[in-house]
Amino acid sequence: MRRSIAQRFLQALIVLVGVVLLTFVMLRVVPGNPIETMMGEHADAATVARMTAELGLDQPMHRQFLRYLSSALRGDFGTSYSLGKPVSLLLKSAFRNTLYLALFAALFAWILGVACGLVCAVSKNRLPDRLFLGFSLLGISLPVFMAAMFLQYVLAFKLKWFPISGTDSWRGFVLPAAALGWNSAGQVAQMTRTSLLETLQEDYIETARAKGLGRFGVLVRHALRNAMLPVLTLMAIQFSGLLSGAVITETVFSINGVGRLMVQAISGRDIPLLQGTSLLATSVVILGSLLADCLYSVLDPRIRKEG
Amino acid sequence: MKRILALLLTVALLPCFPAFADSAEPGLLRTAVLYDISTMDVTETTDDYLIPMNVFDRLFETRPAGGSSEIVKSLVTDYSVSEDGLTYDFTLRGGVVFSNGSALTASDVQYSFERLLKAARENTEIPLEIVGGEAVMNGEADVLEGFRVTDDTHFSVTLASPNAGFLAELSAPAMSIVDAETMADVKAFGKEPADTVGTGPYRVTEWVSNDHYTLVYNEKYWGAEPSVKKLIVKTIPDAMSQNLMFQNGELDIIDLQSQDSAVVASTYKADPSARIVSTPNVGMIYLIMNENTPWLRDVRVRKAIGMAIDRDQIIQGVFMGDAVKENGVIPNGVWGHNDALEGFAFDPDGARALLREAGCKDGEIRFELSMDSTANTSTQLIYAFISDSLRRIGIEATVVSYDHSSWLAKRSSGEMDSFVARWGMDYNDPANIMYTFFGSAESTKARSINYSDADVIARVAAARAIADDAARMSEYQALEKKLIADDAAWIPFCVGLHLWCLGDRVESFTPQWAGFADFYAADVVLR
Repeated sequence: MRRSIAQRFLQALIVLVGVVLLTFVMLRVVPGNPIETMMGEHADAATVARMTAELGLDQPMHRQFLRYLSSALRGDFGTSYSLGKPVSLLLKSAFRNTLYLALFAALFAWILGVACGLVCAVSKNRLPDRLFLGFSLLGISLPVFMAAMFLQYVLAFKLKWFPISGTDSWRGFVLPAAALGWNSAGQVAQMTRTSLLETLQEDYIETARAKGLGRFGVLVRHALRNAMLPVLTLMAIQFSGLLSGAVITETVFSINGVGRLMVQAISGRDIPLLQGTSLLATSVVILGSLLADCLYSVLDPRIRKEG
Repeated sequence: MKRILALLLTVALLPCFPAFADSAEPGLLRTAVLYDISTMDVTETTDDYLIPMNVFDRLFETRPAGGSSEIVKSLVTDYSVSEDGLTYDFTLRGGVVFSNGSALTASDVQYSFERLLKAARENTEIPLEIVGGEAVMNGEADVLEGFRVTDDTHFSVTLASPNAGFLAELSAPAMSIVDAETMADVKAFGKEPADTVGTGPYRVTEWVSNDHYTLVYNEKYWGAEPSVKKLIVKTIPDAMSQNLMFQNGELDIIDLQSQDSAVVASTYKADPSARIVSTPNVGMIYLIMNENTPWLRDVRVRKAIGMAIDRDQIIQGVFMGDAVKENGVIPNGVWGHNDALEGFAFDPDGARALLREAGCKDGEIRFELSMDSTANTSTQLIYAFISDSLRRIGIEATVVSYDHSSWLAKRSSGEMDSFVARWGMDYNDPANIMYTFFGSAESTKARSINYSDADVIARVAAARAIADDAARMSEYQALEKKLIADDAAWIPFCVGLHLWCLGDRVESFTPQWAGFADFYAADVVLR
C-alpha cells in the first residue's frame, strides 16, 4: 500500500508542476499587457513600458519562470498587481475564510445527505423515499446562486435570522454554507441511497439478520458502514472542490475567499495573484484526490491487500 | 445516530436564536462598494479616490455650486499669478497639522509634487507641467526647479508653459498633500492605515482587503467638524446583496449606479418615499471611429454613422431618461461647455444619402465594434443599439467582446476599429478631456482615434496656454466645432445621472461635483 501511495504522490507532484508551468505560460502568451490593465485609462505608453521592465515582464519567459519557481519555493509568490499586497498574505486570509465556509458546507451537506439517503434506502419506493429523492434531485439541479438568493431573501432579509452578507460571526457562515452545501447534499443523498440499497442485498446482511441482530443494528453497523466507502470518496472529492473556491457563494455573501480572489485576478490580469490562486486551488484538488485514494485504501481491505 | 439527531435538532432550533441586528452607533455612516480599492496612494491609482479625498487635503477643492461648480481655496489662503501666467505665488494656511501631529509646511507641498514624479506611475501629468518636472521624473534631478519655498507658509510654482487651468488641476484628488517627515519614517504608505497620514477630516483606521475599510474623524482637522464621525465602506460584490442590505437598514447610502436600471426603476423610483439624490456624471459617453479603418477615414461615413444613431432613444431606452445629451467634447458641468452646440440630428435617410455620396453600397461597410467584457449593462445596451441602428442604413458593425486586458492592448495599439467608452472628468477644465484625447498625435493613436488634422492637434495643445479665459473658451469652442461638426472625430452621446438613495439615518448628502462614486463623508449630514 505504501508503494501505491508513493506512486500517487509522485503523480500528484508531476500534475502540480505541470499546472504551474501551464498557468505560467498561458498567462504570458494570451494577448494584453497586465501592466496596462493594472494602470487603467490614464496610463501612458512610457510608464507602461517602465513598469513592465521593473516587474521583469520584459525578460525571456524561461528566466521569468525560474525566478518565479525559486521565489515560490521560498514561499514568496510575489505582490498582487491589483491589490498591492503580498500574494501569500492575501491567500492566507482568503483561504482561512474558504476553509471555514467549506467546513460548514461539508458538515451541512454530509449530515443532511447521509440522513436523506438513509431514509430513502430504508423506505425504498415508498412515499418518504420518493419525497427525499425529489428533495435530493432539487439539491443537485438547483443552481447555487438560486439557492443563495432564496436563503438570503427568506432567512436574512425577511426573517432577519442571519446577516445578508459578511462573516463577522458564525451566523454569517450559516447561509453561505447551506447554499454551497445544498448541491453536495443532493449528491451524497443519492450516492448513500444507491450504495445502501446495493449493500442491503449482500449475503452478509442476510447473515446478520439471521443471527438475530435488530433492524437498526444491521442498518448502521453492517450496511451503512460498508455502503459509506463510495460516499466517503465522493465526500473527499467534494471537500477539495469546496476548498478550491466557491466563486458564486463567496460573491453573493461577500466572503473574502479564494474563489473571489481568483475571479479578481482573472479580470485584472493580475499574474502573481492568478498564479498563486491557481497553485492553491490545484494543490487542494490534488491533495483531496490523494486523500480520497488513501482513505479508500485504508477503509477497503481488498484494495489494501492489492496495493 | 443520537449525535446526528442532536445536530439536526440544533439546526432546526436556529430560528429560536435572537434575530440578527446590525447596530449603527451615532455618527456612523455605512455604505458599500462593488470592488475593493487597490491602494490609498494617489501615485498608484486614478480610480480609488475615496480615501485620498477624505484623508488628505489639496491646495484647492472643486465644490458643487448651484448646478455648476467652483474652485475654492483649501490648504492655501491666498495666491497670485504673474502677468505671463507662468508663476503662481501661494500662501499656505497656518496652523494646519497632519493627523499624527506633524505640522504642514510648504516643503510638504513640494515633497508631494516631487513624489508623484519620482514614483512615475499615475497622475504625473500635472506636476510635469512645472519647470524641471521631466528631469525629476527621469531621475536627472532630485528637486523641482520650478518650485521655490520661501518659508513654511509661502512658496511659488513656475510652469514650463502657461496653463490657465492649473488651479483647477490642483484641486484634483491626485494632488493630495502628504507629510514629508512622516513619509521618511513609514514603510507602507498607501497600504497600511497607520502609515497613511493626511490633514483631511478623516483618518483611516482599518482596511481589510475585499471586506471593508473604516475612516474616523480626525480630531486635529483644521476645518469644521463633520456630522459623520465614522465611515465604514463595505465591499459587497453582489449588487442584489447591496440592495437587500440597504432595504434592511444595514447601509445608510446606496450607490444606485451599482444596481440594474430595472431594479432602480422598480424598487427606488417607484417608491415615493425613497429619497434619491442625483447629479450628472460629469464626463462623456462617446463612440470612437478609427480614421485608419477603411471607410471610417471618410468623414461622410463617420457623419452618416452619427446621423443613424438616435441618441434620444439611448437616453430613454438605456438610461430610463436619467442622462443628459452631449453634443461636443466639453461636457455639461465643465467650464467652457457650449450649450448652443448642435449635435448630429437623427436622420437615417440623410445618413443613407451621405453613404451613397461616399460611394458605399449596401452592406459594403463592415467594421468591428470592440467591447470590453467588463462593460456594464448600459454600455452593452449601447453597443447593441449602435449595431442595430447601423444595420438599418446598410452598415455591418459587429460587436466583438474582449477581456479587459486584450481590449486595452488593442485600443492602445491604435488598431481598434470602433468602440464605446466613457470619460469622467478629474478636474473642471476643458483641457482634461480635450488635451487628453486630441492634444498630440500619440494621444489620438493611443485611443485608436488616429485623428489626422495636425493643425487642430497643435491648436488643442496650444489652447492650454491661453491666459485670457474668454479667449481660451472661444478657442476651445471653435476647436470643438471643428472636431465634431466638421470632422466627426467622435460621436458624443450623453452623460448619465449618478443616483444615490439615502437611508433613514441620513439627513442630506452632497455628491462630489463630477458625480464620482467616491464622495466626501463631510458632505453627509446624519440625523
